[in-house]
Parts: sequence; C-alpha cells; structure tokens
Amino acid sequence: MMKKITAIILMSISVIVPVLAQQSEQDNESVQPKVRFAPLRIYLDSGNKSLAAYQFELKAAAGQIKIVGVEGGQHKAFKEAPYYDPAALANDRIIIAAFNTGRELPTGRTRIATIHLQIIGEAEPDYELKLTVAADADAKEIPAEITFEKGE
Amino acid sequence: MKKKILIASILLAITAIVLIGYFGCSQQEGDTVSSRTAVDESSKEEDVTFAEVTDKPDSEIQVSQELKTTLPLQQTVTAKDEVHLRTKLEPTKELEEAAPAATKPEKYGMLRHEDITDSGYEQEILVDLKSKSEESRLHTVTGPVPMPGKKPESRSVSMGRNGVVYNDGRTGGMMGGYRGSGIAPTTRQPLRRVRGRIVSAGKPLSEEAQRSESGRIYSGLLSVTEDEIWVIARAETQAVPAGEDSPGCGAMLAKLPKEDKEIPLPLKHTDVKGQISGYIATVNVTQQFHNPYEEKIEAVYVFPLPQNAAINEFIMVIGERRIRGIIRERKEAEEIYREARRQGYVASLLTQERPNIFTQKVANIEPGKNIDVNIKYFNTLAYVDGWYEFVFPMVVGPRFNPSGYSDGVGAVALGKNGISGQKTEVQYLKPGERSGHDIAVTVDVDAGVKIEEVKCTNHVISKTFAAPEKLTVKLSSLDSIPNKDFVLRYKVAGKTVKSALVTHHDKRGGFFTLMLYPPESLSYLKRAPMEMIFVLDCSGSMNGKPIAKSKQAVTRALRKLQPKDTFQVIRFSNNASQFGPDPVPATPDNIHKAIRYVGNLRGSGGTMMIEGIKAALDFKHDPHRFRLVSFMTDGYIGNEIEILAAIHQRLGASRIFSFGVGSSVNRYLLDRMAKLGKGAVAYIGLDDSAGGVVDLFYERISHPALTDVTIDWGNMQVTDMYPYHIRDLFVGRPVILTGRFKGNSKTTIHVTGKVGDLTQEIAIPVNLDDSAAAHQGIACVWARKKIETLANQATYDNNPDLPEEIKQVALEYGLMSAYTAFIAVDSSRKTTGDHGITVAVPVPVPDGVRYETTVQN
Repeated sequence: MMKKITAIILMSISVIVPVLAQQSEQDNESVQPKVRFAPLRIYLDSGNKSLAAYQFELKAAAGQIKIVGVEGGQHKAFKEAPYYDPAALANDRIIIAAFNTGRELPTGRTRIATIHLQIIGEAEPDYELKLTVAADADAKEIPAEITFEKGE
Repeated sequence: MKKKILIASILLAITAIVLIGYFGCSQQEGDTVSSRTAVDESSKEEDVTFAEVTDKPDSEIQVSQELKTTLPLQQTVTAKDEVHLRTKLEPTKELEEAAPAATKPEKYGMLRHEDITDSGYEQEILVDLKSKSEESRLHTVTGPVPMPGKKPESRSVSMGRNGVVYNDGRTGGMMGGYRGSGIAPTTRQPLRRVRGRIVSAGKPLSEEAQRSESGRIYSGLLSVTEDEIWVIARAETQAVPAGEDSPGCGAMLAKLPKEDKEIPLPLKHTDVKGQISGYIATVNVTQQFHNPYEEKIEAVYVFPLPQNAAINEFIMVIGERRIRGIIRERKEAEEIYREARRQGYVASLLTQERPNIFTQKVANIEPGKNIDVNIKYFNTLAYVDGWYEFVFPMVVGPRFNPSGYSDGVGAVALGKNGISGQKTEVQYLKPGERSGHDIAVTVDVDAGVKIEEVKCTNHVISKTFAAPEKLTVKLSSLDSIPNKDFVLRYKVAGKTVKSALVTHHDKRGGFFTLMLYPPESLSYLKRAPMEMIFVLDCSGSMNGKPIAKSKQAVTRALRKLQPKDTFQVIRFSNNASQFGPDPVPATPDNIHKAIRYVGNLRGSGGTMMIEGIKAALDFKHDPHRFRLVSFMTDGYIGNEIEILAAIHQRLGASRIFSFGVGSSVNRYLLDRMAKLGKGAVAYIGLDDSAGGVVDLFYERISHPALTDVTIDWGNMQVTDMYPYHIRDLFVGRPVILTGRFKGNSKTTIHVTGKVGDLTQEIAIPVNLDDSAAAHQGIACVWARKKIETLANQATYDNNPDLPEEIKQVALEYGLMSAYTAFIAVDSSRKTTGDHGITVAVPVPVPDGVRYETTVQN
C-alpha cells in the first residue's frame, strides 16, 4: 500500500512540476511586453535649396519607444552620425541636429538620419516629427519638409 | 499510521524542495573563491627583529632663523612691479598642524613659531621684485588667459557664443547647442549669421541645472579631487622594445568548441588618437573587432581607460555606417543589449566596472565581418615640476579579491571563464602567448609654449615638431603590444608660474577650469618631525621586480629619516605584521635593523590590503609628530571601495602617500587613496630609480607652500566648484579647480593664501569673453568631476540619493558612469541564427607581473 502511495506521489510530482514550470514561463512571457527593433528613416526635402544644417525633434505620441542608436544620412555631407541632446532623451524623445560647412550639399529629398528604435508592445507607435529649423550655407532659414519612413 | 504520516511528510518535503529548485532559485550562491591561492610565504620568511626601542629625546634645539631673513621669496606681480606683502604675524594652520614640535622645542628641537615671528604685530613689507631672482617670483597671467593652441581655424564653425566649435570642418553638431556634450535647444531657434558663423539664439540653461551645492553637507575629505593629486613622481622606465621572450609576445591562437583548427581572437587592433590643447586631452579610441570564426560571436573585452576620463561619445561602425550610441541608465541599456543580442541584431554595449575599468560587448558579429567601436573622452593632464603627463593605460592588471567578495574583478587563465566567482573577469594569456591584438598611439600636442623636452616612459616613440610648441608623437610599431601604460611626458618652457583659466559657454551657462600653479621655490620652510609608517604590499603580484623596487624605496626612505622622526614598517599579504609593536625613534641602530627586516621580505600570497590599512592607521597618534603613511603597492585588488571606505573611517590625523610600483598599476586606487588620505601619489616604474622617487618625495614633504587658499572671483559668479575646498599649493604641484559661472566680462581673480606666516595674494586678470581661452570639453570635465566627487562620497556615505544624483548628472551630460551605459543597436538588419558564442578577449599580464602568482588557472 505504502509503495503505491509513494509511486503515485512521485508520478504526480514528475507530471505536475514540468507543467507548472511551463505555465510559469508562459506567465512570465505574457507579462513581458513584446519587444522589437526597427529603424525610422528621416527624410528632409529642401526643394532646390542646398541643405547645410538642420534640427528636428522626434517622439512617440502613442506607443512606447526607446531610441537605441542614431545613424547618419545618405548624402556624404550628413554621413556622420548626428548629435543628440542627452537631456531631452530622458523623456524618450530625441532632438537631433547636424550641419556641414562644405560646398557639396544635398538638395531635394534626402535621408538625413536613421533613428534606431526599440518598440515595446504590439501597438504601432504614433510618431511626432517636428522640424525645428533647416538652413542653407549662408545660415539662412529655408523652407523644408521633414518626413519619415518606417523600416522593418 | 505514524509511519505513513512520516513517509508522506518526507515526500511532501521532497516535493517542496523540487518545486523550489524548479521555480526560482536561480540565485547563485556567493562564491568564496579567492583569486590567488598561493601560500603566503612572505610572513614565513620574515626574520622579525623587534627593535629595542630606547627613546632618547634629543635636547638639541634647531631653531631656524631663515624665515626671518628670507621671507619674501615669492611675490605677486603688480603693474608697478611692486608687491605689498601683508604679514599677519599669527601662527599658521600649517605650522600648528604640521609642526607640533613647535610647542615642545626643548624636546624635539624643531622650528618654533615664536622663533620666526613676533606675535601680535602686523608688518607690511614692500618688496621690489627686480631685486629677486626669477625663480622666486610668482607670476600671474596678464592679459588674455592663455589657452595654448586654441585658435579657431579658418574652416571652423562656432555655434552659439563660445559654443560648439568644429575646427576640422566635418559635419555634425547640435543646432545652437554644442558638440561633445550635445545639448540642443528644445524650442525652435532660428539660425542667424554672425561674423560668418552660424549661431543660434539659445536660452540659458535652466536654473535647476545651475543650482548650487550649498544644500549638501560636505566632508573635508571630499575636497580632494582628481587633479588635486599631488604627484610626487612619475615612472621613468626606459623604453625597451619588446623582445620575443617577453611576456605577451609570441603567437596566440584559440581553439573553439566544435572547431578543429586554431583561430585568432576577435579584437584585432586598438587605435588611439590624442589631441592635447593646453592641459586638456581629447582622445579617440577605436577598437577593431573581427570575427574569424565560422559562426556568429559576441566579443567581450575588459579594458582600462584613465580614471578621470569623461567619456561622452560612443559610435559603432559597421562598414561605412556609423551609429551613435545612446547614453542610458545602465540596467536599461543592459536589457536593451540582451534583447537585441537575443533577436539577432548587431549591438554594442559599454559599461563601467570601475572608474578605470570598462567592459565592451559586441553582439552578433557575423563570420568574417568587422565591427569597430569608437570611444571619445576628455581628460585633464597631470602636471608636475613643469612636466605635463599624458597616460593611456593598455591593460587591466590582475586583481586580488578577498574571500567572500564577488563584486570584484577576477583574473583567470584563458578559457577559465567563471572560476573567479567575480562579477567581472579578465582572461589572461600565458607568458609567451600573444593575442594578435596590437595598438597604435598618436598624440598631437599643442602646448601653446615651447616644448623643451619629451620623454615617453615604457615605450619606443617617434616624435615630430611642426613648431616649437607643436609636437606629434607616435608609438613605434616595434612596440605595439598592449601590456603596459603609455606614459608621455613633456616639459614646457619657462620657470615662472602661470595660472590659466579655460572656459566654455553653452545653453546651460558657463563652465570653467582654473589651473593654479604653485610657487617654485619655497625651500626656506622646514618640515616638522614625522611619524613615518611604511606599508609594503608583499602579495604574489609584487613578487620579483616590484617588491625589489619597493624595498629599495623603503630602504632609501629609512636612511633619509631625521633624528627627531619615528618610524614603523608594516608588511601585508594574506595578513599583516610589522617591524615593532610601536613606531620607534629613527636612531641609526633602529634604521639598520629595519633595513634588515625589509631586506628579508618576499612577495607571495593574497592582497589583504585591509589588513595593511588597519595596521597602519589603527594605533594611537603621536600628537607631536606629523603622521605620514606610505603604501608601496601595485594596487591589484578588486575590492577598492572597501579599502577606500576603510581609509575614510580610519584616517584620523594621518596623511597617506601612495606609491604605485610596477608597469601597469591600479592608478584609480592609488590616486583615490592619496586623495582620501590628503596626501600624494607617486609611480615607480620597474626600471626607475626608486631612490630618485623617494628623494622627490622627501623634497615635497619638506616644504609646504601656499596654504589656507581662498579665492575672490571678482565679477565671476561661481557655483558648483570642485573641489569644494581649495587645497594647499605645494611646490611643483598645481591645483585644478572646475566649476560653473555666470558673467561675461573682464575681471580679476584674486587668490589669497599663506606662505609660512605671510599672507600673499595672486591676481589673475581674465577675459571671460576670450574665445581663445575656450574649450568645448570643459562642461564634460566639470560634469565628470561632479560624478567623481559624488561617487567618492558614496564610498562612505550611505545616502540613498547619491546613485540617483550621479545617474542624473551622467544622463544630462551624456557621460559614462557606474550607473549609466552606452548602447548602440543596428535595427536595420537582423542577422540569422542565434547569437552564437561569447568570446572573451584575453590580454597579457602587465609587463613585470608574474602570471603564475596572479592568475587563477
């Protein structure tokens, strides 16, 4: 009789424990929000004006993002990784700026930067992108349009 | 029935244990492995000869009259070349503290204050400086404060008044902000053209950012900061090309699991480019990682940087793409890195283990691919006796960690990952092995004044002068094995004292550093009797040349003791023992016995420095003598915080002078010990003359200089200054002050102090608008100094707010700290497969350190 009880208990343990463990892992996973990484490519269209300097601000109006890297643009004038404001970053928005004093400057639509993001949660973030200023080589403010493209 | 209950209980207990084991207890047990297990032989070999102490008070009284006749050796220059020295005939604090014998001259025969001055008088002395020697003058800066070599080049662009200055013509920078510290305006700020430059109309920094530290309770110990360290001597090791037989040479190949062939390791090359302007260095370090394996790897490299490096840039380079790393709270950055690694993204993470030890991780390096990591930092240079010193450490020395300690830095053999039980581990190559990793160092110096002499301790260099004040130094390719500190020293022209103010303005306000140079000649002031305590590290890492150097140094120091001094010699490794139960008078007999005692010491066993600290500081202080404790050690320990806290708790009236002995010592620990101990630090290289260093040490302690220093900043409204309290200005040793200020006009800074019992004033005219005296790194230097000060406070202050305060400063200024880290992720492409294996980058043991006695195998 005793042997039977012992065997039953041991069998129960061997079955229940893995099940509980798996359940626990699943619980943990369900608690952890889904995390993914994606780039956000920033474009600036300065029309027929040469772009010598820019500053913009990015934040997620909805959804949770963390900025995990800032990369330079496609034109060689803005190839260098631009600088960001570390103080502003504390609130998970980013202020980025760059300038170039050379002669070869981009015109029209050009990718000025890529922001590498960690996106938390299933929801697609709603980005707010604001151009603070764009300027030409004479330091004059120029009209320009800033846009972004989501990468995968 | 009872039997059934018993069996059921047992089964339930087993069930509970199994469940607990399954669900939760991932917490590792504290590893109590000590990093070194060698038997402590040093104490066995001691032929302990307790001196027969016979205190024979010398009744001979040596009263110095020199002060009466040669008081005005240093003067403040005025426009009329005259100086008014107001002599307030009161005992100076220096004399009261450092010359207690003055109260008992009949016994100790030392300088008495009443022999020097007539108290109750005030005497005004008018001195014509023209009659004095050039060396005796204390010159001050007139006109624009020199910031040597700081001339904006024609291609440079300045953003904001004294804001960001790009003088290399390359792109980047904040609009209306500043490069380096990277603040940008948070509101729309149109650009305008001012004198051909792009400027931004930014607003001043918030009041919060400029808040005063007045609310904090400061400890006197906190007044000692990095640049205040009084460096007695620097290593003067002769540069010798590494031979094939030297440790760290040869060929190193690693064998991976699942691999039949041996292949090289992932860190290929480190490139160091330093630019020195005045006394501030801007250093770019590029680490080139490569994956030579057939599967993906994560490379992990533990490496050193100067302990006062303000790291504010981190860029991951993949091919031609450059991704700027983001400063984040450390835990958050580590989580991001782990997740990116798990998901297959190329990512890099830089964390700080100690102020001078960092870990670089690069994840998902694909086979055959290269990833570079670029780190930029600013730091201020040390200055001693006309010599500036630039140091780039190349290897982390093997640390000893006490039993039960797990937060240290373990030293293990290649492939023995995890055996030290420490949070951070360094894997070391065996003698004769080489990692294939080499290093290139180039340093451009713009001293602003003629460079008279150049020395590079430890390494072979080539040097080129573009102008008398401009020098380029390159490390020889014959000497590119990173196993010892690169130490470049250069002597600048002129014997006169120059104090230099360097400023930086941005939206947060003004920042400055002021280097106060001391007078050069103050040899008329005699020192007080000393209670000299010599503490020798006799652990395994000191075995061989290092302990031989220590013994030479102590022997020399013993011979230079004066009859009125007393002394003690303490050795420590696994435990501590000493020459006699109490300090003994410096009689010839006692000195002879002590030299024999020192001669018998050997290096072996662990580094229980805490035992040495206790033995050196835990005994009754002789109120009639100035207690000076000299530590001779390589500082290879992992529990630095514990040691520093012990010094803080036990210091009392003692002053600590730390001597770093070896080719790649733990400068962070040695500097901090000296700072907390209100003393000084000296470095003795393996081929140095230990006697020469000791002679300098005695020279330094013999002549106090400008004491009780106070500063009237004139129109500068100064806040948040570090150090909080200005230290004495000693011969050959400047004090660097850094702080924040408001104001933008010409003013005069008045520095007042005492030389002996003379009150002396130094006037420093400054122009706060002078762009030639600006440096973009000043804000970072200031923030780094604040972090360092708060971190020092955290070693003995349990204030729970300190870590948060450090973190906030680091985040605001984008700086590395113990609580922040740089993370960079390339989210544009996911590599295939899992994250592969982790490969630690092994390093050679420092030159002169024995692998067998220091590395766990």
